[in-house]
Amino acid sequence: MNDKMINFKIDGIPVTAKKGESIIEAARRVGAYIPTMCYLPKTTPNASCRMCSVEVKGQNGFVLSCNTPPVEGIEVITDSEELYKERQNIMKMYNVNHPLQCGVCDKSGECDLQNKTLDFGLNEQTFAVRDQARKKKKWGVHTYDPGLCIMCEKCTAVCNEVIGAEALYIKPGGYKSEIDINMKNCIECGECIAVCPVGALASTDFKYTANAWELNKVPSSCAHCSSACSLYYESKGESIDNVTEKIYRVTNDADFTTLCAAGRFGYDYENFVASKDSQAFQKAVDTFKDAKNVYFNSMITNEEALVLQKLKEKLGFNLVNEEAKNFQKFMNAFASTAGESLYNATHSDLKTSDFIICLGSAVASDNPMVKYSIAKAVNHKKAYVSYIHPVKDDDIRNLVTQYIKNEVGSEEAALAMIANSFIEDKSSQEEFFDSLDLGYLSGESNIALEEIELLKHFSKRKKAFTIIIGEDVINHPESENIARIVGLLQKESEFKVLVIPPQTNTLGVSQICELDEAVEGLSIGYNVKADFTLSAKGNGDLDMPALNQQEGTFVNIDKDLVSLNAGVKYSGYELNDIACALGLETENVIEYTPELGFGEITFDDLPNSIDPSGNITRGIKIESKTNTENALVEPVEDLDEFNGTVVYSCNPLDQFNVFTEDCKQIVEKKSAGNYELIASKQFATAAGLKPGSVVTFSVNGQEFVRKLKVDKNMTGTVAFNPNFDLDMISSEYRYNQVKLKVENE
Amino acid sequence: MSKVYFSTWNGEHINNVGKPEEEWEESAYNLPATYDDHRDSKAFIGWDGVALFKEDVDVIRLAMEYAAQYQEYSEACGRCAPGRWGGRILYDQLDKIARGEGAVADMDHLKEVSKSMQMTSKCEIGKTVPNPILDLMTHFEDVFMDCIDNQKKSIHYDSDVSYIAKITAPCTDACPAHVDIPAYIEGVRDLKLDESLRATRQTMPLAHTCGRVCPHPCEDACRRTNLDEPIAIMELKRIGADYETDHGFGFFHPGKGKKKKSIGKKVAVIGSGPAGLTTAYYLAMDGIDVDVYEELPVLGGEVTVGVPEYRMPWEKYQQDIEAVKDLGVNFILNHRVTVDEMREFETSYDATMIASGTRISKAVRCDNERPEMQGYWGAIDFLDWVNLYEKFNIKTPASVQEQQMLPSDHVDLTGKTVVCVGGGFTSMDVVRCSIRAGAKRAVMIYRRDEKTIIRNTTYEEYHEAVEEGVEFIFHSAVNTINDEDDVIKSLLIDKFELVPDPDGGRAQLVKIEGASETIEADYLIPAVSQSADLEFLPEEWELDMTSWATIKTNGKDYMTSRKGIFASGDCEYGPMTIVNAVGQAKRGASVISRYVQSGEVTLSDDEIMEDHLRKMKVYDKKEKVTGWLAGVPRAHSEVLDVDIRKYNNEEVNFGFTQEQSISEAERCMRCYYIAMVAN
Repeated sequence: MNDKMINFKIDGIPVTAKKGESIIEAARRVGAYIPTMCYLPKTTPNASCRMCSVEVKGQNGFVLSCNTPPVEGIEVITDSEELYKERQNIMKMYNVNHPLQCGVCDKSGECDLQNKTLDFGLNEQTFAVRDQARKKKKWGVHTYDPGLCIMCEKCTAVCNEVIGAEALYIKPGGYKSEIDINMKNCIECGECIAVCPVGALASTDFKYTANAWELNKVPSSCAHCSSACSLYYESKGESIDNVTEKIYRVTNDADFTTLCAAGRFGYDYENFVASKDSQAFQKAVDTFKDAKNVYFNSMITNEEALVLQKLKEKLGFNLVNEEAKNFQKFMNAFASTAGESLYNATHSDLKTSDFIICLGSAVASDNPMVKYSIAKAVNHKKAYVSYIHPVKDDDIRNLVTQYIKNEVGSEEAALAMIANSFIEDKSSQEEFFDSLDLGYLSGESNIALEEIELLKHFSKRKKAFTIIIGEDVINHPESENIARIVGLLQKESEFKVLVIPPQTNTLGVSQICELDEAVEGLSIGYNVKADFTLSAKGNGDLDMPALNQQEGTFVNIDKDLVSLNAGVKYSGYELNDIACALGLETENVIEYTPELGFGEITFDDLPNSIDPSGNITRGIKIESKTNTENALVEPVEDLDEFNGTVVYSCNPLDQFNVFTEDCKQIVEKKSAGNYELIASKQFATAAGLKPGSVVTFSVNGQEFVRKLKVDKNMTGTVAFNPNFDLDMISSEYRYNQVKLKVENE
Repeated sequence: MSKVYFSTWNGEHINNVGKPEEEWEESAYNLPATYDDHRDSKAFIGWDGVALFKEDVDVIRLAMEYAAQYQEYSEACGRCAPGRWGGRILYDQLDKIARGEGAVADMDHLKEVSKSMQMTSKCEIGKTVPNPILDLMTHFEDVFMDCIDNQKKSIHYDSDVSYIAKITAPCTDACPAHVDIPAYIEGVRDLKLDESLRATRQTMPLAHTCGRVCPHPCEDACRRTNLDEPIAIMELKRIGADYETDHGFGFFHPGKGKKKKSIGKKVAVIGSGPAGLTTAYYLAMDGIDVDVYEELPVLGGEVTVGVPEYRMPWEKYQQDIEAVKDLGVNFILNHRVTVDEMREFETSYDATMIASGTRISKAVRCDNERPEMQGYWGAIDFLDWVNLYEKFNIKTPASVQEQQMLPSDHVDLTGKTVVCVGGGFTSMDVVRCSIRAGAKRAVMIYRRDEKTIIRNTTYEEYHEAVEEGVEFIFHSAVNTINDEDDVIKSLLIDKFELVPDPDGGRAQLVKIEGASETIEADYLIPAVSQSADLEFLPEEWELDMTSWATIKTNGKDYMTSRKGIFASGDCEYGPMTIVNAVGQAKRGASVISRYVQSGEVTLSDDEIMEDHLRKMKVYDKKEKVTGWLAGVPRAHSEVLDVDIRKYNNEEVNFGFTQEQSISEAERCMRCYYIAMVAN
C-alpha cells in the first residue's frame, strides 16, 4: 500500500489526501460538494447511484468519486454541464414510476429523492417504463415498500457491515430487483430505516403519524446502556385538543452514528405527571432528614448523583448503590496495576482493532453498540475475535473467529492464562506468574492450553489489540484480583482494555459518589423500591422525571461526558427540588456540571457536533489519573464449582431495565422474549422440563417465576434469566446455581 | 473468417446490404456463424458490435431481445441506477417500436438513455449493452422508422426465433475454469464473503488452492491492465475461503447450497487431484454417487505431494477437500486401480473419469544420465517425500534414504549442493524446498532467460526464490553427469546464447563454444516435464493417445475414444496448471452428468457459447479504457521475511489485509459482457 500523502486538486483547490481516502472523502473534508444518493460514509461505498461521478482533467469519461482514491497530481472537476446532465438523467430514472404520493409519504420533507429531484430541476419526465406490481411488506418494526425503493443498498450495507446481522439482502432481478429479508437474522434494530434515503423502509409504528417538519428535534443521549449513544428525540403535540408534547420517534445522524433498537424504539418511558404533589414532596423532604440509607442505581445523571452525594455529606445517610460500588472496587483494583485510573480503549479503538478478545459479557444484549463495533472491526479490519464465555452465542458466529467455552466461574483462570500468554515482560509480577499452574487452570476452566496457543498463534500478524471485559467479571467473587490482571494487561501487553460499565452511568456514578454498605433503618430509594420510593416509573411515593425528561450528563463507555436534554416536559418535582428544600441552593441541576470533577466546563458549553467528514465532537473526555500503587496480583484462587442447574442473569435483546420494560415497540418485538427463562434442549431435559413449563426459583434472595423457552440454537446447561424487570439492579455474580420448582405440572 | 451480411464487430464496418451473397465481404473476426453441427446462426450481437449472417434478421427484435437479456442476467444488473432503470427503458422502448406502437421521440429517448448508460453505469455490461443497439439504430434507421411511421410490427415480431445468450468477462473467458471472477470480487467489495465464495465454487471448488497457487492466466486478460495494472484476481479468491474456514462455518456451496438427493447413478474417478476432486464435486452436486480412487495414502494429488507447504498449506487445501467430502463423495485411499478393475468399472459404474495426472519425471537427456545413480532424483519423487514428511509426518523409507544418501528419516540436504533442471513451477518448488531442507547451494539450470521463467511461473515465485538464495543459471543445459562409483559428483554445464534469426524467425539458442563449466553437485533433480503413468488402462481398449502419450479427447466434452470413459487434467492435457485441470474436469463432470442420465454425450448451449467466445477471445489488449482513474496502485500482500521463511515451511504470503482486499476489489471494473446468438 502506498503510505504517502497524495496531492491533487478539487475544483482548483489543492488537497492532500490521506492513505485510504477516496476522492469524495477528501472533497467533503475540504467542503467541496458532490451529490450522492447511495453514499453512506460509515460503510464501504455501494457505488450504485453513480451520482458522485466526477471529471478528471485529461481523462476520458467520468470517474466515480466514492470508491476511487485520488492519484498524485490529478485535477478533479466536481461539476460541469455534462455531469449535470447525466446526474439529472439519473434523477429522472429514479423517478420513473416512483409513486407521486409525497403528500402521504412519511419521508416527505426529509427525502433525498424529493430534495435532489428539486435540486436538479426536473420539470418533466421523458423516460417511461411499464410499471409492475410491487407488494408492500411488513417486517416487524419496519415496513418495506419496494415501489418507493431506489435500490441504493444502504440498508443492506448497514445490516451487514454495521450491525453484523446479515438479515437484509438484495433479491436480484434487474428492474424487478428489490430488498428482501431473512427474518431469522433480523434483530429489528431499525438501522435500515435510519439510513433509507426515501420512504421505502419506514418505521411501522411511526408511519402516517407525523410529518418531518412538524417535529421538534432535541439532541440527547440514550439512557439505556453505557454506550449512551447520541440521538434526537423528535416530538410534537398529540393533537389540537391535547398539545402536550409526546415523542414520536428517535432519530440519529445515521450517516455517521448508529443506534440499537432500545435506543431507537425504547423512548416512550417518560413519566407523565400532571401537576406537583406538594404533600408527597413534603413527605420526601422529611424522610430524607431521617433516612439512614438512600438506595439508587446508575440509571441517573451525574448531576443528580452529585446531588445525592452532597445530601449524604449534609445529612449523613448511607449512600447505597452496590452495582456502582462493585465497579468502583473493580476500577480501583484495576488502577493499582494499570498505573492509571481508567481503561484505555474506546469504541473507535475497538472498531479499528484487528485482534479482539471478549471476556465475561453476553455482548450482543449487554451492550449492542460494542457488538456493532466488533462487527465493524471484523468487516473492515478482518479482526480475529475470540469470544470467551460459558454460553456460545450462535447469533454472533459471523463475527467470532474462535469461541472459547470456559466453565462458569473460571473467568479469573481464563484471564490469568491470557496474561501469561500475552505479557512478555513478566518481571513486575514474577510471583504471580510463577504461581500459575497452567495445567490446573486449564483443567478448572476447561480451556485447553491449545486453545490459548491458537489464540496466541493468530495474534502473530495482528497490529491492534483490544480486550473487552464484561459484567460477569466486574461482579465476580474474585473481581478485584481479576481487575488487577486486567490492569496488568493494559500496562504490560499490547492490549487496549475496554471495560463495559454494567449500567448507563455506572462509570460516572463511580467517579462521583462515595458509596456505602446499607445499614438497618429507614430507607429511601431512588428508582429502587424502599420505605419511601422516588420513582420515575410513577409507581413510588413521589414521582420523578424519567431520563428522557431531564437535563444532565452521563459518562459513557468511551469516558466522554455527554449531555442529556429533555425530550418531553416534566411538570412534577425532581431531586433538585428536594435538595433545595434541604438547603442545597441551586436553581437548575445542570449548574452542578462544572462541579463533577470532570473539568470546569458548563453544561451549555458541552460540544455536540459532527463535521462533514464525520468527525464527532461530543462532550469532553474525562481524564485518567496516574496511579503509582504497583499492587501485586494475587495467585488465582481455587474455583468454586458450579454444578447442576445454573441460570445466568442476562436480558433479552433490547431489554435493559424497568424503563425499556414498558416501551411499546420493544415489547412488541419478537426478540424481546419477555420474562422467559431461555435454555437449550439439553438444559430442559436435564431439569426435566418441557417448553412452556412455569418454574420458580430464587437468585440471590430474589424470587422469580419464569416460563421456560427452549431455544434450539442454544447449547449447554446454562439458562438465560432476564432481570430487566427488577428495580434493584443486580450486583451479584451473574451465574447462580438454582433449584427449579415446576409450577404448572 | 466469417461471411457476414453486416458487421460492426470490434469497430469494423461491413455492410453488404443490397449485394448478392457471393459478393459479400468477409468479417475479419472468427464470429460464430455456425453455432454447432446442426445450427447456423442468423446473427451475433455483443458488447462490441453486431454481425448479421443472414439478410432477413429482424434487427429491431434483435436489439430488443439483447436488451431483454440484460434484464435476465440479474447477477450483473439491477445494482446501479443507470443499469436498473436504463436497461429497462431500453427494453420497453425497443419493444414498443417492435410491436408497432413506437413514436419518433422514442428513438431520441433511446439514444439519450443509451448515452447515460454508457457514461455512468457501474459495470461494463451496462456501459456496453447500448453499443450494438445504437449500431442497429444507426445503420438500420429506415427499418426502425418504417415500423414507427406505419405503426407496424417488426418483421419477425411474432415468429419463433431462438436466442442463446451468455454473460462473460475477459478474465472469466481467459480462466480455464471460467470462474465468475467479477462476482467473487464483488462479494469481497460488498463484504459478503460467503457470496464471494459461492460465486467461486460455481465452477471452481478449490478456492483455497486457486486463491494461492494459481498462475492466474486471468490476470493477463484483465482489462485493468489497459489502464494501469491488472487486479490481483487470484489473491481475492482466497478471501471468501479464508472467511469460511476462519469462522468455522459449514460449506458455502453454490446455488441453494444444498446437497441433491442421490439419483441412483454411480461414477468412478481415478485420482484425487484437482481434476478428480472437481469431477467429484460437480457430479455429487447433481446427485450422482462418486467413488474416488487414490493411489497415495493422502488425498489431493500433486497439490498435496507436489506443492510445498509454504505455498499451499495442507490445512487450507484440506478445507477444499472437505468441501468435496461434504457433498457425500466417497474416497478410497491407498488404492492403485488395476487393469482388471478398470474393466470391471465399465459395468459397476455408469461412467469413469480418469484423472490420474502425470507422475513420471522425464529425463534431462544428457550424457551419462542413469536413474540408478545415487543423487539422481526425479522431481516428483523428491517432492513426494518432502511433502509427505512436512505435511503428514510420513517418514522417508529406508530404501529411499539409502538410494538418496539421506542422513535421517526425512529429506535433509544439509551441506549438499542441489542442481535442478527445469524452469516451471515444479522446478521452483524443488529448489525452494532444497533451501528449506538445508542445502548449501540450490542451483537452477534453465535453457532460456529470466523473462521467460517469470512468464512460465510468476513474478513473485521467481523473486522469492532469488531472495531465498537460489542461484539461477540461464541459457544453460546439462551436458554430462560426472559420477564416482555411481554417486553424482559434478555436472558439465553448457552455455548458450540467443542468436536472432536473420530471416526474422524465432531466435535460436546456440551453444557458446568454450564456455562450458563443471559445477560440483550432490544431486541432479530433473524437473523438465512429466509423463503419464497409464499402465492401469486395459490394452484392448486401445484408447486414442496424443503424441505426448496422454489420453486423447476432443477438448470439449472430455470423453476418450471409448464411450463412458472420460479423462481430464494432466493425464489428458499433459503437465499443466491446477486451474486447467479444474476447468477440464468441471466441463467433463457436466458432460458426464448428462451422459449417465441420457446416454448421450452433449454440450449445453451455454457451453457451446463458452467455446465460441474462447475462440473469439473476449479480452482486447488494444482497447482504450475510459471512465476509470488510471494509476490506482495494485495491492501487494505482505510476505514472510526471507530470513525467517528460509528456515521453515510457514505460508509465505500473508494474504491481503481487509483494507487491501476492499481497495483491490474496488479497482475491479466489472467487465461483464453479454454475447447473444440468434438462430
